[in-house]
Amino acid sequence: MAGRTIVVTSGKGGVGKTTTIANLGTALAKKGFSVVMIDADIGLRNLDVVMGLENRIVYNLVDIVEGKCRIEQAMIRDRKLKKLHIIPAAQTREKDAVQPEQMKALCQQLAEQNDFVLIDCPAGIERGFKNAVAGAQQALVVTTPEVSAIRDADRVIGLLEANLLKDIHLVINRLNVKMVKQGDMMSTADIVSLLSVPLIGVVPESEDVVVSTNRGVPLVHERGSRAGAAFQKIAARLNGESVPFDDDQDGGFLSRVKRIFGG
Amino acid sequence: MLKAIQRFFRDRNSAQTARQRLGVVLMHDRLDISPDLLEALKNDIIEVLSRYMEIDQNSIRVDFEEGKDYTALVSNVQVKRVYRNVAAT
Repeated sequence: MAGRTIVVTSGKGGVGKTTTIANLGTALAKKGFSVVMIDADIGLRNLDVVMGLENRIVYNLVDIVEGKCRIEQAMIRDRKLKKLHIIPAAQTREKDAVQPEQMKALCQQLAEQNDFVLIDCPAGIERGFKNAVAGAQQALVVTTPEVSAIRDADRVIGLLEANLLKDIHLVINRLNVKMVKQGDMMSTADIVSLLSVPLIGVVPESEDVVVSTNRGVPLVHERGSRAGAAFQKIAARLNGESVPFDDDQDGGFLSRVKRIFGG
Repeated sequence: MLKAIQRFFRDRNSAQTARQRLGVVLMHDRLDISPDLLEALKNDIIEVLSRYMEIDQNSIRVDFEEGKDYTALVSNVQVKRVYRNVAAT
């Protein structure tokens, strides 16, 4: 049975796409699934450092596409999990080194051998975005509770729909519950109603994320991290498990969202 | 202490402001209405109205307004006088 291909995108940079993909991939692999994460951000690769695999790169995505190596040669195995691999982006190439059709073919091939293929999309809506989206069946749109991030997320959702990619879910990252309660940050319910896309998870703002990125070990390995737990829940929901949205994450607003989407 | 007082008097609910501003911005983004298009719409409205009445062409304003569950096009035009005997075609 073929696996699923999911692109993680956002429009705006710096909202936590790479962190999200690293944690979701790791969480899914911990559940026993075979997962490949593709860094499609050619020229600005980062998934390798977030995963702590920067020293193991020999071949990259562009090498595969150009036939300089086999797919397996560019797949780097995770340090802890046997069934987790990344395909790094090329760092010294241009975004047009890859064509959307080539990405599509690669994703299809990987999906035949794996349960999940996760694609880390570059910021922006140009060539790199089109490449990253080409091979995906599903999309996760990451946003933070800020006006600029939400606006860009809305643009991306429109473009995904125009590309006939209609299976879209929203990840709200870096929510600060205290600020929401003070009325100084938009709540989950606000964001969901503005974007009208079903929610798959809310990740609280956390210093743990910086620490885990410093170390190159995804948060989901850490016990007791709230952000890590939030990513684990998203991974479970991706797997079709029904995980309740807790009220405490969002000062009670989530229960309303839950009612809207029947989650 | 001073900080606490300042915080108390500050406009507290910036989230509400953000939500309202975003609502308007997203609507414009989604409708994809460029300033050119809005100008063309404005000129057409002027043209149609001018057949029936004399209007102050500089006073016309066209805006989008978003309510809770609707989007409205609101246009304000100053009417100078309505022509009599306009053929009802």
